[in-house]
Amino acid sequence: MAEDPTQDGKRVDPLDAWRGVRDIYMDAWSKNMVEMVNTEAYAQATGAMLDTYLTASTPFREALEKAMVKTLEQLAMPTRADVVSIAERMTNIEMRLDDLDAKLDSIHRLITQAVAGPPQPRKAQQPAKQQPAKKAVTAKKAKRGKK
Amino acid sequence: MAQAPVITDPYTDAAERLKTLNKVMTTKAAIAQTPKELVWTLNKAKLYRYTPVLPKEKRHPVPLVLVFALMNRPYILDLRPGHSFVEYMVNKGYDLYLLDWGAPGPEDKNLKFDDYTLDYMPRAIRKLKATFGVEQFSLLGWCIGAILTTIYSALRGDQDGLRNLILLTAPLDFSNKHGLTFARWTDERYFDIDKVLAAFGNMPGEMIDYGAKALKPVENYVGNYMKLWDNIDDPRVVESWHAMNTWVTDNVPLAGGAFRQLIVDLYRKDKLMRGELVIRGERVDLSHIHANLLTVIAEDDHITPSCQSEPIMSKVSSADKELFRVRGGHIGIMAGSGASKFTWPHIDGWLAPRSK
Repeated sequence: MAEDPTQDGKRVDPLDAWRGVRDIYMDAWSKNMVEMVNTEAYAQATGAMLDTYLTASTPFREALEKAMVKTLEQLAMPTRADVVSIAERMTNIEMRLDDLDAKLDSIHRLITQAVAGPPQPRKAQQPAKQQPAKKAVTAKKAKRGKK
Repeated sequence: MAQAPVITDPYTDAAERLKTLNKVMTTKAAIAQTPKELVWTLNKAKLYRYTPVLPKEKRHPVPLVLVFALMNRPYILDLRPGHSFVEYMVNKGYDLYLLDWGAPGPEDKNLKFDDYTLDYMPRAIRKLKATFGVEQFSLLGWCIGAILTTIYSALRGDQDGLRNLILLTAPLDFSNKHGLTFARWTDERYFDIDKVLAAFGNMPGEMIDYGAKALKPVENYVGNYMKLWDNIDDPRVVESWHAMNTWVTDNVPLAGGAFRQLIVDLYRKDKLMRGELVIRGERVDLSHIHANLLTVIAEDDHITPSCQSEPIMSKVSSADKELFRVRGGHIGIMAGSGASKFTWPHIDGWLAPRSK
């Protein structure tokens, strides 16, 4: 008769023991690797690899860029530098718009404060608001009168 | 009564596991789902406001602005429903904003800390204050975002109405060269920054990702996938892993100018803590920070060890300051399984009485 594959209803995993050994090995490996990447030798080696890659790839990259610029110019299409230049100008325009937005917000705040009036009794504010309107009407009437 | 044996077909099991593995390795999880609206934008940067869920009278009057690092997507703060710092803080009644730096293009290769702290941040804060009629605000900076918020706080904090400053795993002190693996790798003897930036313009996201993962190569390149395989029958673990993998693999380049400052001015010369960092002609004096300060340190952080975050406590002029240590790694303290039990409640507990 086959053995019951369960213990308390849970599936028995024959790989559990292997996982335990694996985890112990992984911990040891991890500690060694952390120590290794913290050494001067590792920093020197990765720096040398990066430097070699950049030194080797730079002539090809520059040649490709030059060829691409020539090709795009021949096709009357914008180059990467043209697009970058436009993008930079767009950001400058956005900044100017943001400056204008700040000024508009400031003006809006001042107008709101003026309409609400200073923090004084309202009765004292009402004549002051109406006065400019009256003057304007008076000025128009005076002009009509002259005609 | 004895339970019936669990009958399994090993081939069906293996097929199911491979199907799940294929799904999480080749698709993107649904992340950043908390509703938000765009408030302000400049170049690639965007300021979002998360839709409040509480009525105004129940919300804290001082809004909170989240500033994440430049070279990762900020949605780690809003990873998935039920496991989101953003969702947690919105539910706690904060008027919450997120400053997303976006991904710099070739036209942004000259962007520096100067631009981020004296152009982008003050403009975003001005718009926030003008639109929502507030005079004071709180800032939360994480990782490189904490460097930016610290510089901004020292230069413009008082002037703009900064009330509370929260720094998470902030790499600010670079004097302990032996304790910093990044400092060793980017030492001028081994790392030619001019050559790198001449070739790439911006620092490629893949190279930054390699640097971060290479600090713990076995965990990141082997152990991470073994953890997934071991738990592939557990939907909760798989969902969490999928969301985190979506974020980890979504890399953003770092603007060349900012990368140069990070390596030369900070990692090599430690100018910020020495009071020698000059941003657009202004010296960054940390004693000009008067806002209430909470510094959060991750005890198991291999990217920003605690020695980088602690010294700011003695440099600032804040009368109200606290250093909070929490078990976990650089990302785990905010996005790990223990975040909602320890880090988030502590931040809320500290910030709530200071946001009235």
